Amino acid sequence: MAVATGSSSCCKLAKPCAFTTSNSSQSPFKLKKFTASPAKSTSIRCTIARDPVVPMEAKKESDPAPWQRPDVFGRFGRFGGKFVPETLMYALSELESALHKLADDRDFQEELSGILRDYVGRETPLYFAERLTEHYRRPNGGGPHIYLKREDLNHTGAHKINNAVGQALLAKRLGKTRIIAETGAGQHGVATATVCARFGLQCIVYMGAQDMERQALNVFRMRLLGAEVRAVHSGTATLKDATSEAIRDWVTNVETTHYILGSVAGPHPYPMMVRDFHAVIGKETRRQALEKWGGKPDVLIACVGGGSNAMGLFHEFVNDKDVRLIGVEAAGFGLDSGKHAATLSKGEVGVLHGALSYLLQDEDGQIIEPHSISAGLDYPGVGPEHSFLKDEGRAEYYNVTDDEALEAFKRSSRLEGIIPALETAHALAYLEKLCPTLADGTKVVVNFSGRGDKDVQTAIKYLQV
Amino acid sequence: MDIVCNNISFQLPHKLSITRTPFTFTTTKSRTGPYCSLQKYSTSSPIMRKPLINSLLPKTDHDHREYWKLNPGKFGRFGGKFVPETLITCLSLLEAEFNFVLQDTKFQEELSTALRDYVGRETPLYFAERLTDHYRNEKGEGPEIYLKREDLNHVGAHKINNAIGQAMIAKRMGRKSIVAATGAGQHGVATAAACAKLALDCTVFMGTADMEKQSSKVLLMKLLGAQVKAVDGCFKEASSEAIRNWVGNLEKSYYLTGTVVGPHPCPIMVREFQSIIGKETRKQAMEKWGGKPDVLLACVGSGSNALGLFHEFINDEDVRLIGVEAAGFGLDSGKHAATLAKGEVGVYHGAMSYLLQDEEGQILGTHSVGVGLEYPGVGPEISFLRDTGRAEFYTATDQEAVQAYQRLCRLEGIFPALEASHALAFLEKLCPTLPNGAKVVVNCSGGGDKDVDTVVNYRYNQ
Repeated sequence: MAVATGSSSCCKLAKPCAFTTSNSSQSPFKLKKFTASPAKSTSIRCTIARDPVVPMEAKKESDPAPWQRPDVFGRFGRFGGKFVPETLMYALSELESALHKLADDRDFQEELSGILRDYVGRETPLYFAERLTEHYRRPNGGGPHIYLKREDLNHTGAHKINNAVGQALLAKRLGKTRIIAETGAGQHGVATATVCARFGLQCIVYMGAQDMERQALNVFRMRLLGAEVRAVHSGTATLKDATSEAIRDWVTNVETTHYILGSVAGPHPYPMMVRDFHAVIGKETRRQALEKWGGKPDVLIACVGGGSNAMGLFHEFVNDKDVRLIGVEAAGFGLDSGKHAATLSKGEVGVLHGALSYLLQDEDGQIIEPHSISAGLDYPGVGPEHSFLKDEGRAEYYNVTDDEALEAFKRSSRLEGIIPALETAHALAYLEKLCPTLADGTKVVVNFSGRGDKDVQTAIKYLQV
Repeated sequence: MDIVCNNISFQLPHKLSITRTPFTFTTTKSRTGPYCSLQKYSTSSPIMRKPLINSLLPKTDHDHREYWKLNPGKFGRFGGKFVPETLITCLSLLEAEFNFVLQDTKFQEELSTALRDYVGRETPLYFAERLTDHYRNEKGEGPEIYLKREDLNHVGAHKINNAIGQAMIAKRMGRKSIVAATGAGQHGVATAAACAKLALDCTVFMGTADMEKQSSKVLLMKLLGAQVKAVDGCFKEASSEAIRNWVGNLEKSYYLTGTVVGPHPCPIMVREFQSIIGKETRKQAMEKWGGKPDVLLACVGSGSNALGLFHEFINDEDVRLIGVEAAGFGLDSGKHAATLAKGEVGVYHGAMSYLLQDEEGQILGTHSVGVGLEYPGVGPEISFLRDTGRAEFYTATDQEAVQAYQRLCRLEGIFPALEASHALAFLEKLCPTLPNGAKVVVNCSGGGDKDVDTVVNYRYNQ
């Protein structure tokens, strides 16, 4: 008896099967050879694998206008999101609703503007760096014009305070009395302790024990400002462990406590919130550029650690396709040395501190300890929005070594009398490669994200001044 | 009739005969009058004028500025140009150049741009809410404290206002190199920064004692491209060495003075560049509360930040001017820098003014936890404001200053320079005496990041 089979698939019976009875011991199912269907074969892996990175030149430039940055789930494309324990979900939602409400709250916006003006010292100048421009002038007299957005002139000496002030004010609105933060080098810790002193909030800063030894002066500063500095001994006793500890504290004390994250990393809504508080940098730059030369900048350059100062400058101009966005990461001893912090060049996609983004990880998915001469760029991850802008080709990311950064540190000090933070020096260092490629009169704005008084001892060792 | 002696002109009352010199060696007596100090005083320098100037003091409208126009370089009996002959021409050239740039629109525009884009002006007039609350009494009344945030300037203090202005003058005059002396280091750093920006060579003289205490500032100066030359001793030796160096190279170099001391025109030049502080304060006070400040409070080392704030308001009699000097370990300890409280009139660094000197006219060593206040003299204009009673001067000890430092950190999240902390310390005594709602503006003349380890060591030693 023949069994009619008509289907090419062994998994289903397309037609009622006719079974022949026989006195044979054969099974009633005829096993026909399975032929693969023309549909595309897929494989599923249970680890998150990186899609092949499309080279920038090959990627067709897409229109940034319709991008949702972020979407309702807090994603920038496939990056971002909210990879957190359930206990934190409510706090994050509460934060997100508060942000939406306050965006339209005139009183809040006026109070924030007042504090940025009188306490932080905004607006910061857009300074024409005459001697740096001269330095990059070509023999025929042409070359780009270099402008520095002087975030080093802010209270506490860096851009960090913009976000700290905004979040402290927000925390007060939410009725939180306790603030926690993590810090690596101490800059964000000092900025947080500063605003807590200003607003009369209790402040606890988590810092890796190793970092506390290296940055004793910053620990004193935080204590003078009335903050409690808690040492973290787990893991490598550095920034990523301090961040994990801070998150653990937040999970435990979520009703009374607000966690001031220092960069555009972390779970949604943090990347969006921190970016929006720093966006004043870009907004001022647009207005100042119009006043100074009646146009927009052609190129924006910023250093990228977590990515907050860069997003603060870029955000305003993401939809302006004629404005080039360039981020500069830390190549440490060199990309091949394994001792660097160039996440977007050498990292792979994974989840760290609550968000999907590029990060420096080994084959087992363990975080690789980064290295940079500048502590603020020494973060193994990067903000999800940067990962998105990179993959979309909207922003370009390069890197410079410790030595190149030190040279730029010296150059800015000698030519303009402005000592940059070593982080900022990375952005300045990239001018060496960039300027020869730019047309005459190109307007370049470098985000001068912080001042370098804190780095003098480090620099002196290397520069032998 | 006029008598000119060493470029200082004196107007004699007509009844004086021409054969009598204007100089006599007599002990002066205490004088009375609305603007005269009731204290006895003596001068240690052999040049002592009869009090001819009394007759020239404005009697009714108290227009001090008008008076100074008639007597450039003189503030009553203070000021002048007590310098070697070799410097007279140089100082006259400087004065001429300075008078020219005051009127020159192009220079003023360039200076405004530099102050706005490089220095970061205008600095905010910040309402210190928590500090104001701290000084409220049980009824909830008290003055309102505002801080003029000179700490937010580039390089972290008011010194840059003057350094950039003078460096621009030097460039105009075709000078290629700048010479300066620094004690605390702040002026050295400001000068080095301005020179880097304007492509001028910079040499800073600093006492070895100071270099040890302020090693981070030395590093900053070197990073900014300045040459730092060590001089045995402290600021007064460094100043003398700097001036010697300048005199040896008058054609090519420019001596950039950091404060309102020295021979004319240095005091008025520095004061003029610093007066932007007071001008902005007037505008900001008008915007914020529609009026003027009631009290202006500033620390006084040699007096540049104080004059920068006060100058705009000198003719506003309803604005109280208060300067606070360093009492160090206490006025009786002998370890202080309270020149106006304990000094006597003499000539120092080219000008007549109060200074801390012993019976033989030797300069006394000074001490303060705020190193920038350790100057043994004080600007001649400050001496004049004290003697005429236009400004009041008090003192604060090291301990009071350190407490004020910590108070501002804790209450406002601002690190004030230990120098400025002296002004903040005086709020403790001042505020209980002020009426409810009085507007007090304190000149926060510099940032105190540089002083964190000093404060920590001080606390540890206590």
